[in-house]
Formats: sequence, C-alpha cells, structure tokens
Amino acid sequence: MLKNRLATLLIWLSVILISAVFVVLVLDLVRHGWAELSLAYLVDAPLDAGRGGGIGPIMVSTGLILALTISVAAPLSLATAVFLTEFSSKNSVFSGIIKRSLDVLASVPSIVFGLFGNAFFCVYLGLGFSILSGGLTLACMVLPILIRTFSEGLRAAPDEYRLAAAALGLNRAAALRHFLLPTATPALIAGLMLAIGRAIAETAALIFTSGYVDRMPDSLMDSGRALSIHIYDLSMNVAGGDSHANSAALILISLLFMINTLSSKLAYHWMHKRITCL
Amino acid sequence: MKKSAFIILFVLSAAVWAYFTLTAPARQKLVLTGSSTVAPLAAEIGRLFESQYPGVRIDVQTGGSSRGVKDARMELADIGMASRTLKATESDLLSFTIALDGISIILNRDNPITALNKQQIIDIYTGKIVNWQAVGGSKAPITVVNKAEGHSTLELFLHYLGLKNTQVKPQVVIGDNQQGIKTVAGNINAIGYVSIGAAEYEAMHGTAIKLLPLNGIPASVKNVQNQSFPLSRPLNLITKKQPTGIIKAFIDFARSPEVNPIIEAQYFVPVAN
Repeated sequence: MLKNRLATLLIWLSVILISAVFVVLVLDLVRHGWAELSLAYLVDAPLDAGRGGGIGPIMVSTGLILALTISVAAPLSLATAVFLTEFSSKNSVFSGIIKRSLDVLASVPSIVFGLFGNAFFCVYLGLGFSILSGGLTLACMVLPILIRTFSEGLRAAPDEYRLAAAALGLNRAAALRHFLLPTATPALIAGLMLAIGRAIAETAALIFTSGYVDRMPDSLMDSGRALSIHIYDLSMNVAGGDSHANSAALILISLLFMINTLSSKLAYHWMHKRITCL
Repeated sequence: MKKSAFIILFVLSAAVWAYFTLTAPARQKLVLTGSSTVAPLAAEIGRLFESQYPGVRIDVQTGGSSRGVKDARMELADIGMASRTLKATESDLLSFTIALDGISIILNRDNPITALNKQQIIDIYTGKIVNWQAVGGSKAPITVVNKAEGHSTLELFLHYLGLKNTQVKPQVVIGDNQQGIKTVAGNINAIGYVSIGAAEYEAMHGTAIKLLPLNGIPASVKNVQNQSFPLSRPLNLITKKQPTGIIKAFIDFARSPEVNPIIEAQYFVPVAN
C-alpha cells in the first residue's frame, strides 16, 4: 500500500516537473516578450538589425522554407516507407541497407547538413543562398524522421487488413489506399509534426543555406532568414536585441502549438471519416 | 469532398508559386559574406542603399571574418566582410574600412577587481593564474571565456597579448558578442572580451558586466574614435579586384558620412567625416 502511494507520488512529481519546465519557459518568454507583441510586429519588416520593427518577412521566409521542406520530403518519405513495409521483405539486403543508412542519417548533427547543403545546393548546384537551398537541406534532414514514423505507422496496421484485402481481390495499391493509409493516418500526421517541429526549430542547417537576409523574399531563389536564425542572431549577436528575441521565440512556440493542435484534430477527423465510410 | 479539397490546395500552392516566380523583378544582387560583427551593420547599410538604388538587392550572410576573406578571394561573394585588417598572406585582396570597433576585457559587475595589467591578463588566459586572489580579488577560481576559432575578435585579442590560441586555457568557448556578455553577466568569476560598443551598451542598460581599462585608458567608444584605446580594430569590406559599378557604389556609400548614424546605432565608431 505504502509502495503504491510512493509510486503514485513519484509519478505525479515527474509529471509536475515536466510540465513545470514548459510552463516556466513559456512564462519567461511571455514576461520578456509580451510587451513587443502586436499585429504590427507580425507583419512589419525588421528595423535596426531586428531591435525595432517586426518579423513579417521572416515569417514569410520561414513559411516558404517549411512548405518546401515538407512538400519535397513527405512524398519521398511516404514512397520509401511504403516500399520498406509493403513491397520488400523484412530480411532483404537492400531494405537493410536503406534502414541502416537512415539510422546514420538520423544521428548526423544538423550543422553537418548545413555544411553539406551549402557545398551541394548553394555552391555545386549554384542555387546560392536561397530559400530553395534551405528547404532542400531541411528536406534531407527530416527524411529519416519521416520515413521512420511513416513506416512504423504502416507496420502497425494489422496483417488481417492485408489478408482481407487480398481475399477480396484488391490489388496492393488499392489495399494501401483504402485500408492501410487511412489506418496509418495518425502516425503519418505525427511524423509530419515531428518533421515540422524539427524543421521550424532549425538554425545550424539554415544559416549557411537559406541565409541571413531579413528582407521580404521575391522568389524562392532569394535568401530569407528563418525565425530560429532571427532569434539566435538577436540573442547572441545583436546588443539590445533580447526583448525582440523573446517576442519572436514566443511566436515560434505559439506556431508550434497551433500546428500541433490543428494536426491532431485533422488526423482524428480524417481517420474517423475514412473508417466510417468503409 | 476530399478531392475538391486537394484541388483547392493544389491551385492555391500553384498560385503562390506563380506569384513568387512571376512577380520577381529582375534585380541586381550583391552578396556580402563574412564577419558576424559586421553583418548586422552591413545589412542596415544595405537597406538604406536599396532605398536609393531600387534595382539592387544587398544580401548579407554571416560566417566569420575568415569566411569573408575566403569567399571574397574565391569570388563566391561580391564583397567579403572582416572585422580585422588583412594579414600579409592576404595582400592579394583589397580592403575598405567602414567603421572602427574596440575590444574590451569584461568582468562581472560584482567582481571587486577594477584593473588588470597586460601581464596579468596573459597569465590568466594562459592558466598561470587560476584564482582571483592572485590578482587581488576574492578567493575564487577564475572562469576564462574565450572566443571560438574563426572570429577576428579572438585573433585581435591574441595578437595584442602576443599569444597563440593553443596557449589559451579557456573554461568556456563562445561564438558571438552577446553570448560572451551573457556568460560573464551570469558568472561572477568569469573574465571575457567582447566588442566595446556592445559591452558599453549592455553595461549602460543594467547588464551585470563592467569594462576594464587597458593601460589606464578607459574602454569606451570615445577612446576608440580618438584611437587612444590600444585594442581596437577596423571593420572592413573586402574585394578581390578594384571595385567597379554597383560594388564600388556600395563601398563608397558605406564609407560616406551618410551612414554614420547607422554605424553609431550599431554601437560602432564611424570613420568618415
């Protein structure tokens, strides 16, 4: 009995500790950054190296980089995940090599992706410092996360579905579309969230690829500063940039929060619809 | 229902793409890379320059002075940025000073030490003195804060002390100025060195640091300007060839008195009169 109580107490303590870390972090950001927040801050261009003005162009650049990253990485990852789980045997050498290289890729520090992206996309392919280079570099970086979560999701679909689909005479593509992908939707969304979270928080891979320019981008070939780089620069390189760094960080956290909430709602909605219309 | 959602999404993204590719005006782009100290200044000068030359975009990227020199030499950038004078091995390049900056030794505000001589600084940074007591302070271990390789603040500091980076025994290695200021402000036993402009601003705005004088000369923007402060450096723009056209226009603009308010707003010291 006492043991049980103790265990409950410890569990509650860990829960409180973990939430406290988040709450303290957010409160600190709110305390230091709230004063600067306004609608104008969201749409205005930065002034005086970011000490004044807003983060309008930076939001646009961040959005473009993120959209590019996901639209390049998600289809590639889905295809790879489908291949690994549905079209290759578990013990084949080829899929073994893919999985091993993904594991290695997943543990590579982001600065290495940054240097690779700079050497390959910016210099070798001649894309220069651009949103395109940054997005492609981030796409390389999030591939392992996406493929891993996507294939876990597909693998979690019970084999009975596959057998039932075969018994009904459905081909594999149809089974995938009507049974397996809908079942895996929550996992697919979770994977996308992880990837977006990692991409939106990235500085090291972006500073040498999408760059430092805080102007509104005219095209994907323009350099554009991401939100996380802006926060880093304001807090580490610009004297008197702290309050704006806090506001920008607050925006970043709110963005992540919104993306997370929205996506889990969507995932539930889609799955519900798919399963009930079967 | 679902199909139409996809079609809407597709059309929307195509429209965004078309907007960004079609409306992009043909502009001349000037790329600057290098010193993280110069980058915010160059970006601000670039903004003003763009307003006077609407057909030009000034793209400023960071990465450190070494990168600025390298990129200018390999012509990966139109203009390199370096927060130091060019070395003898870099005489193939041209440099144009746009502003001055000084480096100050900083201590935590609550540290009782008010001055250190050059030898004491050398001994602290080489690890011969490891306790503040040895230089007349309280009995506490010294936390030596050094800059990371590739930053010209480090090179200038070492040059002034006549040291090599391998001789320095740091406890903390930092990147940019603000990181150094925050490290020292948060640790009463720390000693570091950062750009005077930034340090003066932070000290005036209540950050817990103080600037130590060198050779009895107070570390201040004023003493950098009249060139009496021993540890100062030029902020340079670097090109491989004699600049022409828009590159020349930008360099001339950055050296004109017109940009002095911008230079002062970034806590540096103007050179143009």
